[in-house]
Amino acid sequence: MESKKHLLELCDVSIGFPEKGKEKSIVTRGVSFYVEEGEALGIVGESGSGKSVSMLAAVGLLGNGGRIVNGTIRFWRGEEVIKLNALGEKELNEVRGDEISMIFQEPMTSLNPVLPVGAQVEEMLRLHSDCPKEERKSRVLSMFLEAGLTDVEALYEKYPHQLSGGMRQRVMIAMAMILRPKLLIADEPTTALDVTVQAKILALLKKFQTEYKTTIILISHDLGVIRNVCSRAVVMCEGEVVEQGEVETLFECPKEEYTKRLLAAALGKGSELKKEQNITQGEAVVRVENFSVFYEEKAAALFRAKTKKEVVKQVSFELYAGEIVGIVGESGCGKSTLAKALAGLNSLVAGNFYIDCKQPQMVFQDPYGSLNPAKTIGWLLTEPLRLHHVGTKEQQRDAVYAMLEKVGLSREYYDRYPGTLSGGQRQRVAIAMAIMLKRSFILLDEPVSALDVTVQEQILVLLVKLQKEFGLTYLFISHDMNVIHRICDRVFVMYHGEIVESGVTHRVFEKPEHPYTRELLGARV
Amino acid sequence: MRYYVKKLISLIMVLFLIMLLTFIAFQVIPGDGALSRLGVDAEPEAIEALRESLGLNKSLPSRFFNFLSGAVRGDFGISYHYSKPVSELLAARFPATVGLAVISILMIVIISVPLGLVCSRKEGGVADRIITLTTQTLMAVPSFFLGIIITLIFGLGLRWFSPGGYIAPEENFSSYLHYMIFPAVAIAIPKIAMTVKFLKTSVLRELKLDYVRTARSKGNTERAILWRHVLKNALVPVITFMGMVIADVLAGSIVVEKVFNLPGVGRLLITAISNRDYPVVEAVVVYIACVVLFVNFIVDLLYQKVDPRVRLK
Repeated sequence: MESKKHLLELCDVSIGFPEKGKEKSIVTRGVSFYVEEGEALGIVGESGSGKSVSMLAAVGLLGNGGRIVNGTIRFWRGEEVIKLNALGEKELNEVRGDEISMIFQEPMTSLNPVLPVGAQVEEMLRLHSDCPKEERKSRVLSMFLEAGLTDVEALYEKYPHQLSGGMRQRVMIAMAMILRPKLLIADEPTTALDVTVQAKILALLKKFQTEYKTTIILISHDLGVIRNVCSRAVVMCEGEVVEQGEVETLFECPKEEYTKRLLAAALGKGSELKKEQNITQGEAVVRVENFSVFYEEKAAALFRAKTKKEVVKQVSFELYAGEIVGIVGESGCGKSTLAKALAGLNSLVAGNFYIDCKQPQMVFQDPYGSLNPAKTIGWLLTEPLRLHHVGTKEQQRDAVYAMLEKVGLSREYYDRYPGTLSGGQRQRVAIAMAIMLKRSFILLDEPVSALDVTVQEQILVLLVKLQKEFGLTYLFISHDMNVIHRICDRVFVMYHGEIVESGVTHRVFEKPEHPYTRELLGARV
Repeated sequence: MRYYVKKLISLIMVLFLIMLLTFIAFQVIPGDGALSRLGVDAEPEAIEALRESLGLNKSLPSRFFNFLSGAVRGDFGISYHYSKPVSELLAARFPATVGLAVISILMIVIISVPLGLVCSRKEGGVADRIITLTTQTLMAVPSFFLGIIITLIFGLGLRWFSPGGYIAPEENFSSYLHYMIFPAVAIAIPKIAMTVKFLKTSVLRELKLDYVRTARSKGNTERAILWRHVLKNALVPVITFMGMVIADVLAGSIVVEKVFNLPGVGRLLITAISNRDYPVVEAVVVYIACVVLFVNFIVDLLYQKVDPRVRLK
């Protein structure tokens, strides 16, 4: 049996970053895996597992003083094997971009904001090919077309901020593929994109893999994405390789405990957390009628009046006590804007809405940004009580202790600062903060999107537990169809500011009526 | 195009406001133009006649209108002290002041950009440490003090120039430059120190961003990354800073002019203030305001030239 050659191989690689106390902190330990020529290899793991760091180390892009402290990284270059970790800057620069190219997670920040995108792609030709100056532009344009971009002539002169997220990622791909590299490393290439865009970008990657026999290493936290693109996968956890093998075997019968947990969390997709469907249409807790929300656009001229842009267009719905209703849609569809308006954070509204409690509380997506880093958890949690003059100081303190336990944190968190907590713990604090005042209606804006899958699972379980215990009503906003499916009784699908479809979750998922809902469901990987 | 028109209109409006404020300020300040010109011993009739001829007896709005329409034509009236048109006085002082500013600004730009890049390229290296230490020290030294030291060393000690001397550019341009260089250095040094520090911070901040990693992954050398990718991004905040520095230099070389005894606008202003020569003071205030506004305008234009994201707003 002829085995294919290992295009890139990591042998026993350990990577360290310098730390304040001079001792190097080791982030990966003895990582070994390979990618065969022409295959698509997936690297799966949660944040901090060392998956990105390993690949950045391979091409010498560690930064922050990170270094390979042990092990070797081999790469087939032409007819010889070279050790990437032994190369100097100059030789590495010949390999980088030309034979190994990369695309990154955030296409907005990964492109240079002050250079036109055409020039950024053209730079690849300038650096690595002897393509004459006159021909470079036409090569870039044809590469743009291949990457599924249109109106390429105008696009050439545009700047990154003028493009959508999907277009930017296509530009990144065009840039990475224009020299037909042997190896393409894609680091979470679709994480920042909407699901429908994600499906298209993945299809594009697969196209290049088959057409140009490009070897792909796809780094992702999303098992669906890996399954969709890759034939083999490596599972990483806390800087070590846990398991590797064919995707089918790995996902069907995982051997290691961690892989099983990861799969259970991600593929628990089908299992609903809310067993009994709550369709008793009792009293309406929230009633929204012909509700529109606007954004003020900056005045175009000095004396011209500001214009208003309708972001949410005349939506009407009711929420009943004790149900969880999901709003699903892609970025820019107005779902967050609607939530903020309901929470009273946007006053540019028209139409009526009635909420059966004072000022609904909100939980936001980013648990890092939404907690004041200069205050202790205890201070943050007593704040809503202080603001509404609930109880004495001692009572407030006791209420916070009780709430911390309810959300699965111990009392000792009272005196800690947000900076010392993990993402999941912070989101627990944010949830505690929202239910501190015992309001019956809570708005959750992408509460689990920034979290790792296993943590997502824990937070969802917590949310359902609290909902039952306190009889809460949730309006749950998410772009993730799977999460919505698991937790919501009913779902609204939002598209361009309108609710295009609504109904009981089962029905919407099984028999979607609106074409957009079908597209969303079809894009699930 | 629309952007420029918009900017220009707001520029004119701000200028109008400044003129109004300046005018009002000089109405409020005690002191009488005619009195200060003729002296306290003058006949009341003579003072009254002069008041009449200077237009000081007219109503406030009509005087403001006169001031404004004169200013637009570049006519700021007659100096009380010199009995010459203020515009003439100012014109005579411009070569020294503007020349000084232009030379020091050129020095600031030419010297601080490469120094800033050297510092950030090898952060913590020998060059960086030497430059950082030097800039930290020089930043704290005021220009007038540097001026005194320079006069002492290069003028009185080494005799590279004779202190207090000045030659008009139309007489002999190279001698004019010769006399300008030393005060320009005194003005430039602290500003260079500040700009180097600012640029270094900005470059280091940029180097941590994702697009730099992309540039590296493309196989760019460190040098290319710095010059082609980072510099333009890093300049965005520096331009704003430089705008302030330049406005400061153009408007604020007053004390240094005094130290080097240059016949510039600054010296004119000091004399005018001590003589209560209000037309001159008014004109200088308006000049300084114009300079600051103009520099800000240029900064705005440059800003959007460098950062395409600004253009749409």
